[in-house]
Order: sequence, then structure tokens, then C-alpha cells
Amino acid sequence: MSLTDEDEALIAAALNGSPLAWEKLVRRYESKIYNHGLRLMGSSSDAMDLMQEVFLGVYRNLHHFRGDAKFSSWIFRIAHNKAIDMNRRKRLMTTQTRTSDQEELDFLDLIPGETNIEPDNMVSEQQQNKRVISMLSKLPLEQRLVVELKMFQSQTFEEIANLQDISVNTAKTRFYTALKKLKVVSEKVHALP
Amino acid sequence: MPCPKTQHILQEYFADDLESLAKEKIESHLLVCEHCSNELESLLLTQNTLTQWKNERTPHWNRGMELFRREHQAPISGFSLWHRLQWAPTVTCFAMMLVLLLNVNFISSQEGFSVSFGSTSDDSSVIAERLVAFQEEQRLAMDALAERVEDRQVSNNIELLQTVLDQNQQTTAENLNRIYVFFEQQRLRDLEDMRIGYQDLVDNDYETIRSLQQLAQFVSYQSPER
Repeated sequence: MSLTDEDEALIAAALNGSPLAWEKLVRRYESKIYNHGLRLMGSSSDAMDLMQEVFLGVYRNLHHFRGDAKFSSWIFRIAHNKAIDMNRRKRLMTTQTRTSDQEELDFLDLIPGETNIEPDNMVSEQQQNKRVISMLSKLPLEQRLVVELKMFQSQTFEEIANLQDISVNTAKTRFYTALKKLKVVSEKVHALP
Repeated sequence: MPCPKTQHILQEYFADDLESLAKEKIESHLLVCEHCSNELESLLLTQNTLTQWKNERTPHWNRGMELFRREHQAPISGFSLWHRLQWAPTVTCFAMMLVLLLNVNFISSQEGFSVSFGSTSDDSSVIAERLVAFQEEQRLAMDALAERVEDRQVSNNIELLQTVLDQNQQTTAENLNRIYVFFEQQRLRDLEDMRIGYQDLVDNDYETIRSLQQLAQFVSYQSPER
């Protein structure tokens, strides 16, 4: 049985009221959605909030899922929309500008030398992830989303364009611009004494 | 030296499905253009940094199980004995109501049991006689009760009147006493006032006599001088 078939079987069982099927379905995707949220939102608590909102959205709309597209695409479409909503809410709630001190602190977090001397692999991985999060946080959300979808969800530019309601060329330009910006951020970090 | 084609070349480099012709074109440009190849190298390095992401473990959460269970209560399978028993009180009440409404009689005799619905005419005449007798009894009881109530009412009224008269008498005596004391005090006050008045009058008369004497002395003193 393929993954898609398994997903469909689990969805059917969950719609029939099986809590086990629902739990299994959630378990299959929770890690992907959580890490997706972590990269997009930048913090564990926001990633958890996003994940919970996504699965609530999935639960509320599960009966609308027709199986025309893959469940993974459908759930990431929900995650994409929820991330945009959450980012908008956060922007409204927090101050718009960041102080230069905060910028400097972020760059200090990115220093690669500190991760190399860390003996524990897990801590090292966390530092690596922290660096990726900090780099991504320098991008505006629309570019961050393109990078996320292209690099981490392996979506094509056509799929990204459909999802974001933009042209394929715009999606390509956003990706290229984002990579260039990330390169500059990365170089700044390496240039730190 | 910056290349004007860099953006176009690199943007297309990351495209999903490049035609072989376009791919060859890009690769040949990258071979000859140092700026573009350096730029591509640094972008790939950046991309590589991002792909070093290691999936983190999801913190514990309830996976929406409470909501799911609450909204998908398992339907009751079959019709168990317990669920049948739940109807027993209702059915019993209904049966009792029917027995009462239809006036069902269960008669047991040596010949066996018999069940009859409704009442016979004998029963109705007996009931009518008993009803008349009961009404008569009730009427007599009511009359006796009314008489007792009246008697009690009369004695209560007399007691009440007696009490009122006593109170009235007592109040009148107190009032008369109070009036007597008041008149006595008033009489004493008047006597005192009169005494003071007479004293004032006597004092005034005495003053007048002294004044006349002084006047007479003055006149007699003035006369020899003339």
C-alpha cells in the first residue's frame, strides 16, 4: 500500500470516527508540520501554535478532502495559509521595527565556531538549526515561504506559483533573491571576528 | 567583472525542468564567466547550509484527541439489557395509568381468575348511596364545626372587649392623675408668681415713699435760703 493510499485509508477511518486512525494520521505529519513551522515562525512555541492550528484546520475540513490532490500537498497548503495568517497577527501585535542591538545579538547566534566545539551531537544539531532559523528570519515571509517550499518541501516552481497565486517567473525571482540575501547574511556571519 | 546575465542565468539554473538546449547554454556560459560561476558557487554553499537542517522532535501534545473523542462519541452498539431496563419505569407507569383509566378489575374466585373493564350498575348505585351518606356526614360535620367556630368567635370577642375596657380604664386613671399633678404644679407656680408680684409692688411703693421724702427734704432745704 502506497503512502497516499495509507493516508486515504486513515482519513476514511478517521471520518468514520476512529480515534486511532486520526492519531496515526497526525503522527505521520506532525513532525513535518512542526519543523515547517519552526523554520517559518522561528520559535518552538509559535511552531506548536501553528501545528495545532493546522491540525485543527485539517480536522474541521477533513470531510472536504476529496483526494484529488495528495494529502501531503493539502495539509501543506493549509499550513502555508495558516503561517501567513499567524505572521500577520504577530506583526500586528508586536512592534514593527527591531533595534540594532537585537540585530547584533542575532548575528552572534550565527557564529559557526561555537557549534564546532560542542561535543554533544544533539546540541550541535540544534545550533545548526538555530543558524538556519536566524538566516531565514532575515527574509520577508513571501521569500521565506518560497525557500521553504522549494528546498524543504521539494515543490516545483509551478506548484509554488499556484499556491501563492503568482506567476512561475515571480516564484523563480523570489527564490533567487532570497538565496542572494541569505548568502549576504551568511557572509556577514563568517566575517564576524 | 560583473556580468549582466548573472540574474537570468542563475534564476534559470535553479528552474525545475530545463530543456537540454537551455541547460547547455547555461553551462557553457558558466564555464566562461567567472563572475557567474563564483556567484553560483556561493549560492550553492548557502543552499547547502540550509539543507543541513535536522528535523527536531515534536514536543508532546494531545494531537486533538480530546476534541476528536468528544465530537465522535462511539455509537451504542445493539440494544443491551441495561438500555431495555431503562424503559421499565416508563412502561410500568403507563400500564398503571391504563389500569386506572379503564377501571380494570381482577377477580379471583374458586373458578379461577377473571379480568373485567369498567364498572357495573350495582356498583354505581352503591357508590351513589355512599356518596349521599358521605355528603350528609360532611354537612353535619360542617354545621358542628361552624357552631364551634361561632362560639369561639363570641368568647374571643368578649375577651377582647374586656381587655380593651381594662386598658381604657387604666389609661383614663393615668390621664386624670397626670392632669391633677399638672394643675397642682400650675397652682403652686401661680402662687409663687403672685408673691413675687406683691413683693415687687411693695418694693416700688417703698422706693416712691423714699423719693417723696427726699423731695420734701430738698424743698424744705431750698425754702429757708430764699
